[in-house]
Amino acid sequence: MVVPLEDYRYDALSCPRCSNCKWVDHVYVRSHRFAKICPINARYGFNAYSAHGMLDMALALLDGQLDYTPGLIDVVYKCTLCGACDVRCKRNLDLEVLLVLEGLRERCAQDEAGPLPQHKAVVEKVNESHNRYGAPSQKRIQELPGAEENADILYFVGCNHSYVQKETARATARVLEASGSKFALLGAEEWCCGRPLIATGQWELARKKMEHNLDTLASYGAKTVVTSCAECYKTWKVDYPRMLKRSTEDMDYRVLHIVEHAQQSLDAGTLSFKNPVQMKVTYHDPCHLGRLSEPWIHWVGERKAFGRVEPAKTYRRGTYGVYDPPRQILNSIPGIELVEMERVREHSWCCGAGGGVMDAFKDFALWTADERLQEAESSGVETVVTACPFCCENLGEAARLARDKINVVHIAELMLKALS
Amino acid sequence: MSLHKEAYQALESILGNENISEDPAICEADLKGGSGEFIFDANAVRPACVVLPKSTEEVRDVVKIANRYRLPYIPVSTYYIGLCAPSLPDTIIIDLKRMDRLEIDEKNMYAICESGVCFSQLQAEAFKLGLQTMTPGCGSQASVVANTAVHGMGPFGYRLGSAYRRILGTEWVLPDGEVLGLGSLSFSPEDYFWGEGPGPDLRGILRGMTGPMGGLGVITRMAVKLFPFVPEPPKPSGTSPYTRLNLPTNRMKWFHLTYATPEQAVSAMYEMARSEIGTMAMTVPPLFRYIARARGKGANAFWEAWAKAKDKIDPRETIVRILLVGYTSDKQLAYEEAVLHDIATETGATIAEARPSDESWIMSADAISVYFFGGVYMPADVSLDSLNQGLKVGQSTAALKKSRTPPLGEDYGYPGWLQLQELGHSSYLEFLAFAGLEDVEQLAALSQDCVQRDIDIGAYPVYQDPTVFGPKWQDYHHIIAEVKKTFDPNGVSNPPRPMKLMLE
Repeated sequence: MVVPLEDYRYDALSCPRCSNCKWVDHVYVRSHRFAKICPINARYGFNAYSAHGMLDMALALLDGQLDYTPGLIDVVYKCTLCGACDVRCKRNLDLEVLLVLEGLRERCAQDEAGPLPQHKAVVEKVNESHNRYGAPSQKRIQELPGAEENADILYFVGCNHSYVQKETARATARVLEASGSKFALLGAEEWCCGRPLIATGQWELARKKMEHNLDTLASYGAKTVVTSCAECYKTWKVDYPRMLKRSTEDMDYRVLHIVEHAQQSLDAGTLSFKNPVQMKVTYHDPCHLGRLSEPWIHWVGERKAFGRVEPAKTYRRGTYGVYDPPRQILNSIPGIELVEMERVREHSWCCGAGGGVMDAFKDFALWTADERLQEAESSGVETVVTACPFCCENLGEAARLARDKINVVHIAELMLKALS
Repeated sequence: MSLHKEAYQALESILGNENISEDPAICEADLKGGSGEFIFDANAVRPACVVLPKSTEEVRDVVKIANRYRLPYIPVSTYYIGLCAPSLPDTIIIDLKRMDRLEIDEKNMYAICESGVCFSQLQAEAFKLGLQTMTPGCGSQASVVANTAVHGMGPFGYRLGSAYRRILGTEWVLPDGEVLGLGSLSFSPEDYFWGEGPGPDLRGILRGMTGPMGGLGVITRMAVKLFPFVPEPPKPSGTSPYTRLNLPTNRMKWFHLTYATPEQAVSAMYEMARSEIGTMAMTVPPLFRYIARARGKGANAFWEAWAKAKDKIDPRETIVRILLVGYTSDKQLAYEEAVLHDIATETGATIAEARPSDESWIMSADAISVYFFGGVYMPADVSLDSLNQGLKVGQSTAALKKSRTPPLGEDYGYPGWLQLQELGHSSYLEFLAFAGLEDVEQLAALSQDCVQRDIDIGAYPVYQDPTVFGPKWQDYHHIIAEVKKTFDPNGVSNPPRPMKLMLE
């Protein structure tokens, strides 16, 4: 198992139930309305629907005090695994909250208590067609302007940008080209990164996707993987090393999200945005690009007395997520006025799409997205910019349903406008 | 346990099926109360169901059903307090989180809070209006209503007064389901401006010695006083875990005064209060300093530094940390700063201005940080008394603790955390002790040592069993028992709270 629940017994046991996992860092609370940070707790209210509740469930499962119940499955799979609770807890404590939540899912899958039928349908498509939509591999994006046969950079397009929001892939390619970077595509050889499997606790199935993608990367000889999808980014950067029991820095490749690549190109002077884009926008930090994207640091050791561990462990606390590059990009586009929402960066409110929630609990995913849109509206903007296709999709659908004055766009498309 | 079907259906008819659950996994989260693997949880029983009312009327109806079927119930909101773990079968947890309406009367400087509103929410809204509220020691995640109904202690209590002084109109669902308005609410259902009377002030009964702990029904709405603040509040900055408020240095400054002895420090704190300067003033236990320095570095870093501290820490040396605020003007801050320097000179302190930021007390409160390096923490003793008495209790507790250290965690003999309260008319001492998970019973034993010691020296008992202290304090436990029996004739409101007596 990749996240054995037993390994995190101490973390579950040590939760002091302070409830900080439910609130934005108090230093950053700006209003009564937008002070909450845990979508499931905000929506469903029961303490069970929170990190605190799931830690208690995990402990009870481990101790044989609790069996799988409909309530347990509902809580576990309604959590978007956004990691906000983990960042909040780790402001003060050294508890691996998110790993307990992931461990719960893996255990559910192992015991065949999960995932849910809607997840299984996605898994079937990923296994059969190597993408979450069940579309033919040959229909993945095979060509993009500027793409070459071989290059040091591999643009890993991702399922969504290959089959659904293709315009973002074209925009990303144009940004790469404009920055003078040579890049290649995998085309039909690209397989789903495995995120839908990981999110639902099926790590061993995801391993097969990883192995294929890593082998293909090696055969291309590329050293850098660029993504336009925050979920693919986090999977390549964090979860592949986890499955291989290695640290991110020990991998043979590096991963960049297009915002990092563009920001580096801006700094190097190889990219500039000349075309004014008159828009007042706000930026939504995708969880997988923000607080969840810190490099993985592999650790094996023992728990000692009190909170000590041997050897010392470096905790991922959400401090070093990709927060500044998208903001630097937006601030470098003439005409753009960036207005921040109340909950930003590591304190960002999840869009609701992650963790398989959009597949299994559409209404809750849209409720979560609408909360974010209301926050955006209150900041006085009409456009929400983000950097993840699933944030775009979920926020976009929520906007179409209830907030038709709000547009949701991927940052690559905004960069394209500034280039044109 | 599961509820009788008829009772469950009655609750469901009030709340709707989305807002009630008897699923064991859902109930598991409310099994242990709110203090981690703590001694209060030892005899906890998983609740029979959890309900989420949205209004006072729903709370009232739930409470009436509980009385009808003789089912114990416990109101909870934001946790991190003991004494809300169910100890009887068939308990209903009334989670008040959905009741989160907040309304501020700017002109009259008060806020009406429902039970689900936490302190940082209120503080953020108050700041926008140039006002402020308390930040309690347990942290800003705490419910304003629940915390204020208990002692609600924290360093701001020096300037803003004790919690019970801040309570205005209050809506209270009595243990049997009757809804009662206190203060101005008793004659004007929409008006929260006044807290007292008419007639005997029932806020005292509500609060009792240490707060009702859910043992006297449910407070659904409470108006709390707000206070003037600086026009430009501190600005948040930094990335987690290094987040802080940057102070407007023309209006706010922290100072550290270092003394050779705690007696000198206490004398200086009296002088600060006599001069009416500062908005918070407290001693800083060495442990707190080492925790703060280790933030973000992991427990190993803390323990490494703490082990080396043995040769550096003089338990007599005492640092007093004081926040000066120019509420009215820059000149007020300049004046208070000048007075503080005079006090430092007269009392033999080394004075230094601290960095112009606040990581904790204005908006956050990091009490939870004491769990950072593992193990279990608890206030082995708490004193609400004069500064001199607080110091006496702290020093005595340090001596008691020494005999149990190890296995209790080492704190190098420091006599606890002492805060000025009520402009120096009282103080608050918390003597925190910690142990490994396997030595929790040692914490309980130290607490018992302190109980006996408090009886011996006539210290004011807080958070302790009234049946032990009662005979020494005019048999007040009989009064508490009588109040409980009168208000809660069926004994269903978080039995045995507000004290153990009701179980016996």
